[in-house]
Amino acid sequence: MSGHDSKYFSTTKKGEIPELKEELNSQYKDSQDPNPLIRALAVRTMGCIRVDKITEYLCDPLQRCLKDDDPYVRKTAAICVAKLYDINAELVEDRGFLEALKDLISDNNPMVVANAVAALAEIQDNSSGPIFEITSHTLSKLLTALNECTEWGQVFILDALSKYKAADAREAENIVERVTPRLQHANCAVVLSAVKMILQQMELITSTDVVRNLCKKMAPPLVTLLSAEPEIQYVALRNINLIVQKRPTILAHEIKVFFCKYNDPIYVKMEKLEIMIKLASDRNIDQVLLEFKEYATEVDVDFVRKAVRAIGRCAIKLERAAERCISVLLELIKIKVNYVVQEAIIVIKDIFRRYPNTYESIIATLCESLDTLDEPEAKASMIWIIGEYAERIDNADELLESFLESFPEEPAQVQLQLLTATVKLFLKKPTEGPQQMIQACSYDSVVLNNATVETDNPDLRDRAYIYWRLLSTDPEAAKDVVLAEKPVISDDSNQLDSSLLDELLANIATLSSVYHKPPDTFVTRVKTTQRTEEEEYPDGSETGYSDAPAHAAESGASPPASSTESGASPPASSSSSFSAAARQAAPAPAAPASVPDLLDLGLDNNNSSNNALVSVDQPAASAGPPLPVLLPASTGQGLQISALLIRRDGQIFYSMLFDNNSQIPLDGFMIQFNKNTFGLAAAGPLQVPQLQPGTSATTLLPMILFQNISPGPPTTLLQVAVKNNQQPVWYFSDKISLLVLFTEDGRMERSTFLETWKSLPDSNEVSKDFPGIVINSVEATLDRLTASNMFFIAKRKHANQEVLYLSSKLPRGIPFLIELTATIGIPGLKCAIKIPSPEMAPLFFEAIETLLTS
Amino acid sequence: MISQFFVLSQRGDNIVFRDCRGDVPKGSAEIFFRKVKFWKEDGEEEAPPVFNVDGVNYFHVKVVGLLFVATTRTNVSPSLVLELLQRIARVIKDYLGVLNEDSLRKNFVLVYELLDEVIDFGYVQTTSTEVLKSYVFNEPIVVDAARLPPLGPAAIFMQGNKRMPGTAVTKSVVANEPGGRKREEIFVDIIEKISVTFSSSGYILTSEIDGTIQMKSYLTGNPEIRLALNEELSIGRGGRSIYDYGGSSGSGAVILDDCNFHESVHLESFDVDRTLSLLPPDGEFPVMNYRMTQEFKPPFRINTLIEEAGALKAEVILKIRAEFPSSSTANTIVVQMPLPTYTTRVSFELEPGAVGQMTDFKESNRRLEWNLKKIVGGSEHTLRAKLTFSQESHGNITKEAGPVSMTFTIPMYNASRLQVKYLQIAKKSKTYNPYRWVRYVTQANSYVARI
Repeated sequence: MSGHDSKYFSTTKKGEIPELKEELNSQYKDSQDPNPLIRALAVRTMGCIRVDKITEYLCDPLQRCLKDDDPYVRKTAAICVAKLYDINAELVEDRGFLEALKDLISDNNPMVVANAVAALAEIQDNSSGPIFEITSHTLSKLLTALNECTEWGQVFILDALSKYKAADAREAENIVERVTPRLQHANCAVVLSAVKMILQQMELITSTDVVRNLCKKMAPPLVTLLSAEPEIQYVALRNINLIVQKRPTILAHEIKVFFCKYNDPIYVKMEKLEIMIKLASDRNIDQVLLEFKEYATEVDVDFVRKAVRAIGRCAIKLERAAERCISVLLELIKIKVNYVVQEAIIVIKDIFRRYPNTYESIIATLCESLDTLDEPEAKASMIWIIGEYAERIDNADELLESFLESFPEEPAQVQLQLLTATVKLFLKKPTEGPQQMIQACSYDSVVLNNATVETDNPDLRDRAYIYWRLLSTDPEAAKDVVLAEKPVISDDSNQLDSSLLDELLANIATLSSVYHKPPDTFVTRVKTTQRTEEEEYPDGSETGYSDAPAHAAESGASPPASSTESGASPPASSSSSFSAAARQAAPAPAAPASVPDLLDLGLDNNNSSNNALVSVDQPAASAGPPLPVLLPASTGQGLQISALLIRRDGQIFYSMLFDNNSQIPLDGFMIQFNKNTFGLAAAGPLQVPQLQPGTSATTLLPMILFQNISPGPPTTLLQVAVKNNQQPVWYFSDKISLLVLFTEDGRMERSTFLETWKSLPDSNEVSKDFPGIVINSVEATLDRLTASNMFFIAKRKHANQEVLYLSSKLPRGIPFLIELTATIGIPGLKCAIKIPSPEMAPLFFEAIETLLTS
Repeated sequence: MISQFFVLSQRGDNIVFRDCRGDVPKGSAEIFFRKVKFWKEDGEEEAPPVFNVDGVNYFHVKVVGLLFVATTRTNVSPSLVLELLQRIARVIKDYLGVLNEDSLRKNFVLVYELLDEVIDFGYVQTTSTEVLKSYVFNEPIVVDAARLPPLGPAAIFMQGNKRMPGTAVTKSVVANEPGGRKREEIFVDIIEKISVTFSSSGYILTSEIDGTIQMKSYLTGNPEIRLALNEELSIGRGGRSIYDYGGSSGSGAVILDDCNFHESVHLESFDVDRTLSLLPPDGEFPVMNYRMTQEFKPPFRINTLIEEAGALKAEVILKIRAEFPSSSTANTIVVQMPLPTYTTRVSFELEPGAVGQMTDFKESNRRLEWNLKKIVGGSEHTLRAKLTFSQESHGNITKEAGPVSMTFTIPMYNASRLQVKYLQIAKKSKTYNPYRWVRYVTQANSYVARI
């Protein structure tokens, strides 16, 4: 039977075979065979011969098969069009196969419809033009087909429809109503795709009753997914993690279903813990704590550690429960299981940061476990606690001394902390009798000696030098610097930023929602160009790092960094020698006052990345804009990257901070930017030294514009890829603030302003109201705007409102005319702008809102 | 869509390998296996079911010790792929009767033929054994099932229970029996997995039943079937939170939190008289899945007592009470309890006259294990274990030991009280009277008592 021949042909002989023709002839004959099975097999087999020259032969039979009487033949032919498109897209378009495929959407056989949808969706994905756009007409056709389709076809259709944007709330409600029954399906893929579709349409629905009702309907099926196989549970949990960040109410009452089962695989348990933290509230915290406490005594070490951290995160999240969390932690410490104790001390340090001067009474208990600590992070945390509260610990000196003995062998993280703690101790207890002072001094000398003479670590040596000089010149100033008040940290259990979250939510029920990364960061279709990106990294990124002082001169990647420090009194000259040491200084070049934090926040920074616990907003309150964390250590296998675009002296820089919290040294850092609206790209190679575990480095990467501009409507999205020699390529997204693009020459003459205003058509005027923004002083506001290169032109009074006119320019001299209207001291700001390309307006509004609200 | 599908043995051997799109390199199976095997350096931690290596996404599920794997480069629906892998396993099992390395190797021609119909260009076409029958022509080569662990929870029916026909669940749905005649029969299994967590004082902290009504039909001509469930069956907790269990006691109502159905099921009369009607396709499939958190009587109570006896000694007394009717008997019961890490020796003392019980102290992971062949409803069993420690306990043995976990199987018992009242087969003729098997079983999922 020749059908069978075809079958084996397709399984065994796929590839380039010269004597294909003869075979093809028989296939061709088969495609007209009276038996539909054989016709289908023929067309399927021909599609598998992936040779460009052969494709012509395929066209006629394919054309015929797409119109075949038998649905089995048609559904096979539909997929064959996608195969052909993969080999020769032009041919498919020229021969009208796309139209034929679109016709199949209206086929009376649901299998055919499903395959046609799948084929069209794939073709659309690989094509730049609009091929498969869902209109309201196709929508209703597909929704009808949905009820008839097999489970798999339902997934194809739902996924295709999820790209559809309903016109209004009513249409959205109609769609949702027709999709909701899919939530009852036994196939988890159907349920999740239906959830995706509903979530998407819910955005448009305004009636809170309808939304609440939908949430109620979605909860049980979502929970039911957790009764499936553990593999499916994992996918469901990763998705639920995203859903509860956006809509916490859906599962607010279901926290119990996320309690770990004794026999759950570890990957399921870890995800459940995350969700439990997210759902923890004052109402259920007692139950949750009871669970965490139980998990903390289980066998699996990683899980136990995570459970202990979870208790800490709850303490930081829920102020009213903090005390209960701490008492649970103390109970756990008393069991004296080594890794539990260490983990507990790390989180308690964060709790101290969050609630200063509240729970110090427990320090004595912590000190009992001192000698069991052997992990750097735990040791560093304990030392930080001793230093911070030295005045309340009678034997702080003895305790620190016990650590000092092993100073040279300690990892950098511990050394740095020990150094700072000793200085703190010295500053806090100098009055308790000369003897002690001398004693303390002697530690100091030991530490400082150790640190300045014997170490190879520039971070440590620099810090030691700064202390040394501060202490010897002006102890009072040292006090202001070292003992400065630290900003309070906050909870980060909803750590994804809202734009990323929205993007991920739009990708619910795809891999993206499992990885929690946008699709373009991991999708590598062979045919697209993305794969070559890696090779395109700048070759010249010489990243070897020598810590010879000579390096100082060419650490010119961050010239503003050194200028910061020069304003910072004696130590500056030596500390600016090492760009790695200047990690806190670099992000805040404009603010000399940043020095205090420079001295004390090393540990906190490290930890914030290690456990993703500490808010990123803390490292430099006085030091200008802090760097937002873009790649958390939990995602980057220990590597944390914080970065921000800044503008300095007419040049755009990417100010970056790298924290290595992994166990291995990292080197060979390179960076690449994806196409973006403004064509921002690196102007030179990334200068990052080798990063030892526990250390970090900052850099200012000079940027240039108009390199690889992405077409389409303007967005603020900036996608970044960073790689090093040890780890996979990391991808993360940033936002381009329009403010960094405004050039210094944006000031206009009044007449030019008026002329420009008149020359632009009225349709180019866009305005927006910001009800939340208050202008309290015109002067202060203007100062702020000028700092971002928006220049004051004129002002007038209209009734009791102030109307301000400002000008600014984008690179290449594109004018930006701004009119601000507000009543002083009363919330509400109207912002009107006139620009050559009005689609830029939303970007500007976003930027100005950030600027004036902060 | 997926790029490749393959099945690996536990050792990493390629048993089945199908490339659907040619955009993922051939070495993927090896890359995958190495990654899974050494997910964490210590080899202890299990790899998650979805991960990405060098731009290739790998999905896998474990079925009877085999790894079913798919790869792709695109942003596909992961639940679709994982579900598909499970279904492929089920379809192959329907055809081969038994799913294992041996049967796959012996039937590779048939398996590839099946895969060609199930996946085209990486897109799933159908996973219905019924539909596939029209396109797949190879006959399965039957392998000896006797010594091999078969697939799925229904397997427990083979454990020597005389009421069950032993070969039923390992019979291929397509192969004819010797003599060319097929036995007309249908199996309906109500399988419930229960999870209970008791607090240290014996209160129920959480309890849950995950149930499935599973069907396997060997009826020719696929006649219509009607399944009637409890009339007093309601679905949805009606807005009540999971915290209040009240309101369900007294009445005989069974309240399900949620349920879903196979696509062949017609629900027209379900709302009226709780009857499901369907044309059962060939092969094994779940008619209905359900989930319940309504209060139910846990089949076992676990009582743990720890007494310190001097600085380096302690005694653990474990008591298990079966609280189900004496007409049922649980089998293959295992009770486990982690002991403090400094435990060096354990001596056990069983009740006098105990039969079919075994005790063990697993030194590698400091775990006490107590196996019981069977427990008759209403009975009680006790184990005393004397522990010797290498160091003084810190006075909190209870925090370093436990929790006590239990696994068991209770045939012909179901905790939810959900029942199949009758199973009606549309009659083709007066003499048509196929065998019907309605079977219940309850299994422990996570059955844990904290101490």
